[in-house]
Amino acid sequence: MTAFDAASHANSKSNVPSWRATQMDSALEVFESLEEPTGFEEDWRYVDFDLPFAELSQIESPGEPLSGGPFVVSLADNSGRVLIVDGQVLESGSSSATVSTLRDLETDEREYSVVAVDHNKLAAAHGAFSNDGVFVDVAANHLMDSPLVIEIQGVTPGSASFPHVSIMVGENAEARVVVVYRSADGVELLMVPEIDLQVSDGGRLRFLSVQNLDHAATNVVHQRMTLGRDATGRLGEVGLGAKLGRLDLGVSLEGDGASSEMVGLYFGEGSQTLDYRMLINHSGRNTSSDVFLKGAVEDDAQSVFTGLLRIEKDARRTSTFETNRNLVLSENGKAHSVPNLEILCDDVICGHASSVGPLEDEHLYYLQSRGLSRGRAERLLIKGFFQEVIDRLPIAGLEAPVSEEVFRRFVQAQEEGRVA
Amino acid sequence: MNTALMVSDLSVAIDNKQILDGFSLEVPFGEVHAIMGPNGSGKSTFCHVLTGKSGYQVRGSASLNGDDLFSLDVAERARLGLLQSFQYPTQVAGVRLREFMLEAAEELGLDLGEATARIETESERFGMGPFLDRSVNRDLSGGEKKRSEIFQMAVLRPKVALLDEIDSGLDIDAVKQVAEAVEAMRSPDLAVVIITHYSRILRYLSPDRIHVMIDGRIVDSGGSELAEELESGGYEALRRRLGIEKVVEDGPVRKPADFFTETPFDV
Repeated sequence: MTAFDAASHANSKSNVPSWRATQMDSALEVFESLEEPTGFEEDWRYVDFDLPFAELSQIESPGEPLSGGPFVVSLADNSGRVLIVDGQVLESGSSSATVSTLRDLETDEREYSVVAVDHNKLAAAHGAFSNDGVFVDVAANHLMDSPLVIEIQGVTPGSASFPHVSIMVGENAEARVVVVYRSADGVELLMVPEIDLQVSDGGRLRFLSVQNLDHAATNVVHQRMTLGRDATGRLGEVGLGAKLGRLDLGVSLEGDGASSEMVGLYFGEGSQTLDYRMLINHSGRNTSSDVFLKGAVEDDAQSVFTGLLRIEKDARRTSTFETNRNLVLSENGKAHSVPNLEILCDDVICGHASSVGPLEDEHLYYLQSRGLSRGRAERLLIKGFFQEVIDRLPIAGLEAPVSEEVFRRFVQAQEEGRVA
Repeated sequence: MNTALMVSDLSVAIDNKQILDGFSLEVPFGEVHAIMGPNGSGKSTFCHVLTGKSGYQVRGSASLNGDDLFSLDVAERARLGLLQSFQYPTQVAGVRLREFMLEAAEELGLDLGEATARIETESERFGMGPFLDRSVNRDLSGGEKKRSEIFQMAVLRPKVALLDEIDSGLDIDAVKQVAEAVEAMRSPDLAVVIITHYSRILRYLSPDRIHVMIDGRIVDSGGSELAEELESGGYEALRRRLGIEKVVEDGPVRKPADFFTETPFDV
């Protein structure tokens, strides 16, 4: 393993196509010019990022893959599997889509990265050091009826890795993709994945991600979705693991009539930070979007939601809504919820709803008045709170394991007297 | 006949404001009693104090089938056989009615087979089938919520049922349906207290006794003639007959400007 410097950079680009090596060179300049987040920047103000690249190493060859895992095993009914370990693609195959890796691509026909390199130090690091990736093409008019499962693992202690996934849904095609993030037990590492989702005119994408990293790992995902005319993107985001887990999501509704939905849940325990930043940008006309995100924190965990709905000047007849509901289950748990609207067009319907608080007394009273003990009433309410999201996840198959994991966390905290 | 519910000299205050004052009531098993009273007479407070809601300063005693209620928490009272049908049943997102009833039945010690059978039978009877796998009270109309409360009562079979304003917000057919359901549930093991400010529901239901509640206490009790008196003369006439003066509270006169000064802009 080597440090993040020019020598290792030369090494890391040795196996990539020349167009990509050129990109990595210019991104390295940006990487070197940017400071690491200090916590004073607006977009890091609630978040403690303490993994300087000086303390991390670059991986020369990926570690041993993890097997099993609670979520992947529930996805036996799939149309293909991709395995990325420490940023390197080890397996890629699909019966329902064309899957290529970076080395297969002779030109940068579809733009390797849609995240601005200067977005922040981490995005620049991805631009400079990401030297492998999968590129999925779903042919026009093709209907995928079971999902492509992409497992992204981090296993090497002290490493920083840059998994890269790009999905292109052809015109009028329908795609289903599940991404599961995992990392080795107790291993400190940084992952900076980039997930690019592009849906062509009339295409439909159902995408579900489950972030189930070990609590020692740090994960900063840059995920972008671009929707063409009459395209639909449904995202489901489940956040369970990581010491710091950030989802930096951008959705761009460019085509007229495009619509997007993002439903998600998170449950933070211990000293976890689960951080959601999103920008939903409406530029096409007659577009609609909905964000529905619910989370709970217990112990010393904290969550952050910063959601900006932006409606551009010509985006007439936009309809958009965002909801963020938070349960704070312990005295030291914290939830920051900051929904924002930026509306540059006047022919729109939009709104937001946000709440932070404990379980409602009124609900507990009602359930208890039918004989449920306080503990049982709390458990039922927790289950119900997340059930609303689980019912809306865009891909079937993971409802039970997600629900069980969330429930297990709460019950364990309850038994150990960690909930207020 | 055995006493199902016995309430003696109950006084209740919230934030030092007296709501109930020397309230006493005895309801035997097998009977249906109605408590009638104008808005603000303390009817709902009575229900919540018996159910065990927090936030009240309570004096006096209440027992269910001889067991003291006030030493128990909300759930323990329910398990003893007390059930309140709420005036405003709360919506509980994500918690399904079927699941809720199964959990409650388990707490009551019913086996799963019996609980499932009761849910099937009673949901059929009250037309609750379509609501079983939906969130409790979510997006239900006023009438559907009341029907759901009665359905829950039919499944859980309490010993004492407090039906708070079970007829408010219902159209005439729904009132009739609820009244018939209550009559049909009459049994030697159940005492029902219906709380209402209209005599409307009493047209379809024959309570064994009617109590009139004014200013936090029972001022008169009797048979159906009492409901008729209220129907024709209202609570005003009853006050005159009993010589109860109307207490006019001189609260502070609030001008619109007061609301602005009280608005916490700095929050």
